[in-house]
Amino acid sequence: MAANELTVRGRRVRVVATLVAGALLLAGTFWGVDDDFPFGPFRMYSTAPDPNGDAKDTRVEGVDTAGRTVAITEGNSGIRRAEIEGQQSAYESDPARLSQIADAYASHSPGAAPLRTVKIVIRWHGIEHARPTGDYRDEVVAEWTRP
Amino acid sequence: MDAPMRWLFAPVPLGRVAAFRTLVYAFVALDLTVFTPWVRSHANTPGDLYQPLLVGRILHLPTPTPLLVWTVFWALLVLAVAAATGRAPRALGWAVFALYFEWMIIAMSYGKVDHDRVGLLVALAVLPTVGRARHGDLSLSERAGWALRVTQIAVICTYFLAALAKLRFGGIDWLTSAVLAQAIIRRGTWLADHIAVVPGLLIAAQFGIILFELLSPLIWVIPQKWRNWGVAFFYSFHVMTFSMITISFAPHLAAMASFLPLEKVRPIEWVRRRSPRPARLSPSRARRAG
Repeated sequence: MAANELTVRGRRVRVVATLVAGALLLAGTFWGVDDDFPFGPFRMYSTAPDPNGDAKDTRVEGVDTAGRTVAITEGNSGIRRAEIEGQQSAYESDPARLSQIADAYASHSPGAAPLRTVKIVIRWHGIEHARPTGDYRDEVVAEWTRP
Repeated sequence: MDAPMRWLFAPVPLGRVAAFRTLVYAFVALDLTVFTPWVRSHANTPGDLYQPLLVGRILHLPTPTPLLVWTVFWALLVLAVAAATGRAPRALGWAVFALYFEWMIIAMSYGKVDHDRVGLLVALAVLPTVGRARHGDLSLSERAGWALRVTQIAVICTYFLAALAKLRFGGIDWLTSAVLAQAIIRRGTWLADHIAVVPGLLIAAQFGIILFELLSPLIWVIPQKWRNWGVAFFYSFHVMTFSMITISFAPHLAAMASFLPLEKVRPIEWVRRRSPRPARLSPSRARRAG
């Protein structure tokens, strides 16, 4: 016999909690979106990109006052790449927003030369039969230079 | 009691929950400092990049400021370390759950939601309900059994429902799509770059992933003696994922320990048994020993 046997009420509360959380998670899977966290769908890597289409690899680059090109990373700016991609259209329609990335870089990398230019670059990689071909081309989708 | 109820409340040793509790709260402290350190950087992320999640809007949670972020960080760090000792399991447990949930809302409200921590959130939500549990205690408990069972369910949901999400968003085309090729292009390691060019291999891997995710609930059906091997296979899947695209799913891995007979892991006991205990020696014996 278990050491701390549950009361009828304790058992009932747990069963209801299990069923409610399970139902929310199931509903989130079929009809939910990320916004419904933590009950949203587990949609990591759930899209089906064209096996013969180009694959997108986004990066953020800065050019500092010394003329050096710096890759902007989570480590030196505190902003994740996926967060920039999630708001990419906002940066495209208002490239001046990129100045906030320069500011974030300055506050996360004290001592580094300040950034003069920040740009979002997409490298389009060729894909054929769901395999990378090794070819690529770069496209700058948003660029800001300190006035 | 019918079979589903017996399964949901199958008693486990209290020592298992004690060990799992220490592991989970220690993980929270490590998550704050090592695994997801970028959350802290939202302290000085401009406020207009904040896009609160539904739950944040319902609860009217404030826009993160440096004060809020650092207060939650330090409170959570101190309380998680305290909770890892097993003291005041309810008070500390609920506090850690509430703070970690807020921490996750801060983390996920800037344009990217991660999907690796439902198991951990469930573990944090149910651990306080077990109450006191001593390390090494082998007495069986239904409270402990339920807590670990629902954590396991959340862990397996992360696989099984991910397969359903792939069918919802990608459709059956997902199987033959360029999803892994894209993932490797974006964040592939040296190893992945060499594997990606083998014809048909990524497609085969995609079939394998869906199959594994759909079959993951079998972990509860296979005989006990093979169950640890099944869990080892789950862990190996993540070792593989990490070696290819450096995604660790660390919170999920911590929650998955709910499948393991952790009461048998007694590191402090082992160290104590092996090393002599000078404090217990009488002064005269200590002199002789020296």
